[in-house]
Amino acid sequence: MASKDGISRRDDDEVCPVCKSSRYLNPDMRFLINPECYHKMCESCVDRIFSGGPSNCPVAGCRKTLRKNKFRKQTFEDIGVEREVDIRRRVMQILNRREEEFDSKRAFDDFLEQREEIIMNLVTRIDVAKTESQLQKYAAENMQSIRTNQALEVEEAHSFQARMTLEQEEAKLRRQAARQEYETERRELQAGREDFLSRLASGSSTDAAAIAREGHKVLLKKSSARRSEEERIRQKQAALRGTEGKRGASGLSSVENGSAPDTGLVKGLRKIKTPEPEKPYDPFMGYVPDKRDYYSLQSYYPSTYLDPIRQDMRMQAGGYDLGEYYSRTLLEAFAGLSCFVGEEISQRDASKPVATEGAAIAATGDEEL
Amino acid sequence: MIEDDIYRTSSQYRLWSYTEASLQSLRATTNAVASERVRAALRRARETQPSAASSAAGTPQPGSDVDGKSNEEKPIECLTPEEELVLVRYYCEKTLELGETYKPPLPTMVRATAIQYLRRFYLTNSPMTYHPKSIMACALFLATKTDNYYMSLRQFAEGIPGDTTTEDVITPEFLLMQGLRFTFDVRHPFRGLEGGIMELQAIAHGQGQAAPHLPHETSEDLQQGLMSIAPPPVPSSSMSDRIARAHGTTRELLKTAAQMTDVYFLYTPSQIWLSAFLIADRPLAEFLLDVKLGGPVTPATATSETTQNGLQNPLYEIRCKLHRVLTDCTAFLQSYTPLSSDPAQMKSLKRIAKKLYHCQNPEKANMAAQKRESAQPSTGVPSESGMANSESESERLAKKRKLEKEQKSRESNDVFGPELVTQRTKQQ
Repeated sequence: MASKDGISRRDDDEVCPVCKSSRYLNPDMRFLINPECYHKMCESCVDRIFSGGPSNCPVAGCRKTLRKNKFRKQTFEDIGVEREVDIRRRVMQILNRREEEFDSKRAFDDFLEQREEIIMNLVTRIDVAKTESQLQKYAAENMQSIRTNQALEVEEAHSFQARMTLEQEEAKLRRQAARQEYETERRELQAGREDFLSRLASGSSTDAAAIAREGHKVLLKKSSARRSEEERIRQKQAALRGTEGKRGASGLSSVENGSAPDTGLVKGLRKIKTPEPEKPYDPFMGYVPDKRDYYSLQSYYPSTYLDPIRQDMRMQAGGYDLGEYYSRTLLEAFAGLSCFVGEEISQRDASKPVATEGAAIAATGDEEL
Repeated sequence: MIEDDIYRTSSQYRLWSYTEASLQSLRATTNAVASERVRAALRRARETQPSAASSAAGTPQPGSDVDGKSNEEKPIECLTPEEELVLVRYYCEKTLELGETYKPPLPTMVRATAIQYLRRFYLTNSPMTYHPKSIMACALFLATKTDNYYMSLRQFAEGIPGDTTTEDVITPEFLLMQGLRFTFDVRHPFRGLEGGIMELQAIAHGQGQAAPHLPHETSEDLQQGLMSIAPPPVPSSSMSDRIARAHGTTRELLKTAAQMTDVYFLYTPSQIWLSAFLIADRPLAEFLLDVKLGGPVTPATATSETTQNGLQNPLYEIRCKLHRVLTDCTAFLQSYTPLSSDPAQMKSLKRIAKKLYHCQNPEKANMAAQKRESAQPSTGVPSESGMANSESESERLAKKRKLEKEQKSRESNDVFGPELVTQRTKQQ
């Protein structure tokens, strides 16, 4: 309020530093600034100088090139504050890591401190070039996570807004209900008291005690109404706790989808385990269908009684493929060639010694069937 | 080796491969269990016989012709595992002959499958329990079905010499399948032999390709190698002729010797056909093995130069092991002589058959009747003689069976045998 008063007080004698026209002569005059150099000038000057494209700042000694679309209204009276807020906003947009993304609270605090340092460097113009390059590099490297975090922030802001409006709505309703309740209660009390008095007046002295007891009941009813109010507050708190938990959960999920490597600038980021990229699907699990160890299948084998089939239309017409025959016979020719049954079966039997005996008994036992 | 792993997935490898020792112990166990049952059954049969004879009811009992007075003292002689084996082998040969009687004869593959079914079945069942004569026809019929050689049951039964009905053929089918553990896949060496011959012919024509493990050999090298092997015992005009002759001999061996011995249980099909091929034409078979696994193996190098050769050929160890296995398998195949050609064996077979007649399990003798009985109460299907009549009949039968069963269990518990009085009242 005070600052607003200050601005309004000084309004009358404010003069545009470029065209020297004062508010006194032009009451509708508005001042704009550009975040490049924060030099103040009036709207008409901006229109005049920058409508034709980017141009140099007209303030003496400032050679910065300004563009019209960057001009905006001043928010704070102090230009320094205005600048700091701008810088802060920009840095915060880039370094928008969230607490869930860090290993520990300590790491997050370090990050916050680092961010403050960067902001202060830029504000006080210490190592500007170096800090800027750091920021640019970080922004380029972490484009993905920056964007997801921004989206998260927007989403949170939205949901917060929605919740606030909802709560306000509820509060309004509640207030109305409470007022109504209070009204009715008051009216009832009034009526009860009148009734009580009239009965006391009309009744005999012996009934007095009973009537007084009835009067207490009304008070009890009132206290039960108060208890329901307490109940409602407790429910609200429980609901709040529930949303807190949900927020925590959503934070965790954000960690999973934000896939950013630990950069040089920000330390102590939680290591994100990106799942192994799935290998191309191999239906035979490393087994090559036509690979053989004992032979290589040829397309033709000379044979006196198979050769006629090659020419026989009646055989071919049905879809008979001699290649199938070749592959099957050759597979059977060598399948199990170095399967040494004697050794392998005795090893197998050693591992489960009762197998054959059990089978024998089972097989002879089924005679009962 | 990929092919070996493919074979290892087969039921023949998983369920029907044994070591010699385990095969023997399995047969001994089967025999012991069956003998025990036969003795118990015969004892029961004798105990019920005096009273049962008067009513002339029940199934014919092979043990009943022995003189009634002496059979309590006389111990029941059962078949030994070796005798059982001889018997089963005889019926395997019979299966071959039976397949021959059909017009056209049944394919070799079907007959071989039937024989393997018989052999597998009698690993866990004894001929004393189920006579091979009844199982044999059923096995052959089942083989026509599993080997995709369609034949109607009636047609099949007509082809069997003697008065075999369709029911006789089909009755033990489920029992047989149970004995086979419902694995009908038999891996025969016949097709493998064709493959091997195809490879050899290709090499002989200069079109052979080297094995994937020995890629440096060209088809010319292979052809020259084939030409330079030792000459066959019987001279032949050309290399293809020689291969064809070896093929024929091997096939004959596989049809007979491989079926009548235990090689299917002990070796893999490819080992079996290679062993038979070794018998037929040793240089040719050795050449094929060298092409596939490299490095000639002589008995001298097999022991002394293992390390030196092992460096050159990574498959050397397999080659040596295979050499031993093939030698064993060859010995097995060569040990076979047809039963019918050997009078001494025929004589012992007759003796076994006679012995079996006395120790056949009487409770399992009439399989068809048993099957009918067991099927009726469960399905409740009325027999051909009238609805009302058959129902009461089946009820009566069921009641009778129940009583008999109860009595039997009581008898087996009672040391002093059955009660004579109740027995007589029941008969009246």
